[in-house]
Amino acid sequence: MDQSKQEEDYGYDLFPERSQGQQRKSTLKQSLFTFNHKCRVMLQLAMETSPYAKLLLSAMKSSGCNIYKDRHFACEDCDGTVSGGFDAASSQIVLCQNNIHQQSHMNRVVTHELIHAFDHCRAHVDWFNNYRHLACSEIRAANLSGDCSFHNELARFNFGLKEHHQKCVRGRALRSILAVRKISREEAEKIVDDVFDSCFNDHSPFGRIPHSKKDAKFAYRDYMNRDRYHANL
Amino acid sequence: MDHSRTTSLSWRPPRTCDDYWSEFKNCKSLRNRFHHYYAHGTSPSCQQWKDDYQNCSAWEKRKDTGAKEALQRSERNRVAEQKKFIPVWDLRREPPIDWHLPLKQEGPRDS
Repeated sequence: MDQSKQEEDYGYDLFPERSQGQQRKSTLKQSLFTFNHKCRVMLQLAMETSPYAKLLLSAMKSSGCNIYKDRHFACEDCDGTVSGGFDAASSQIVLCQNNIHQQSHMNRVVTHELIHAFDHCRAHVDWFNNYRHLACSEIRAANLSGDCSFHNELARFNFGLKEHHQKCVRGRALRSILAVRKISREEAEKIVDDVFDSCFNDHSPFGRIPHSKKDAKFAYRDYMNRDRYHANL
Repeated sequence: MDHSRTTSLSWRPPRTCDDYWSEFKNCKSLRNRFHHYYAHGTSPSCQQWKDDYQNCSAWEKRKDTGAKEALQRSERNRVAEQKKFIPVWDLRREPPIDWHLPLKQEGPRDS
């Protein structure tokens, strides 16, 4: 297959460092005072302190997909304004070190991409050929990661209240698909509409839509308690 | 394992009573009511959490079997609510075989 066409077709052109192979050489100076170092520090903090991330990491471990930071995460420079991605071909989450500058943003991106990784781990997701699968995972990631919280939408100057969350989820799923696949907007909208009800209501592994950190803590508590829960139903 | 025999001796509420209470308080909070309206366009209904708390307490205090059954019904209903969708994909029985394989270090991606 023509590699450059494949790269464009699947959105790999947004992540230019991926096609050059993994280069790991760097001096100490480069190591400490770079976006790369900052990205890795923020990632570590996200994995240790975000209840969203902690729940997903536990759930993936239970599903047989243990996450090793050095193997399954990569901090790289990316094109444009993209914040991250999940590369199913290498089972890796890419974090865009040049576009993530705040811890809260890192927490959200890590959560979003872990949802994709979780879907990859527990289901036969055909990322490359089945747009319904892709749309479904994007809907879930936008819905459950806090991407569409009231405050985040406000910061994007998207004002809305009643059921705005759903509008945001649809919109972000659409954008994510259009960014990595060459299909028309109309086609993408139809696909999102088709799978929306199913995927919006799939809250796994949270058991709820976590609207805030507190909700996520409760969801994490429930997850840690799941053995007792199911034994006594 | 004869699950039915052991459960009647060692049954406990699926969650601690404190958990039911904290869920109830969280449900009723202004922040949650706002988020619920923002996501669903309606007010959340929180009474079930309160009922569950009361049933949980009734079991803890008096081993009230009516309360136990009500609590079990409520939680089974919650589980059913979470499954009310037709999945778009098939679930795996095993994790992906290449999840733990090392990364390819050299050269551009092929295939």
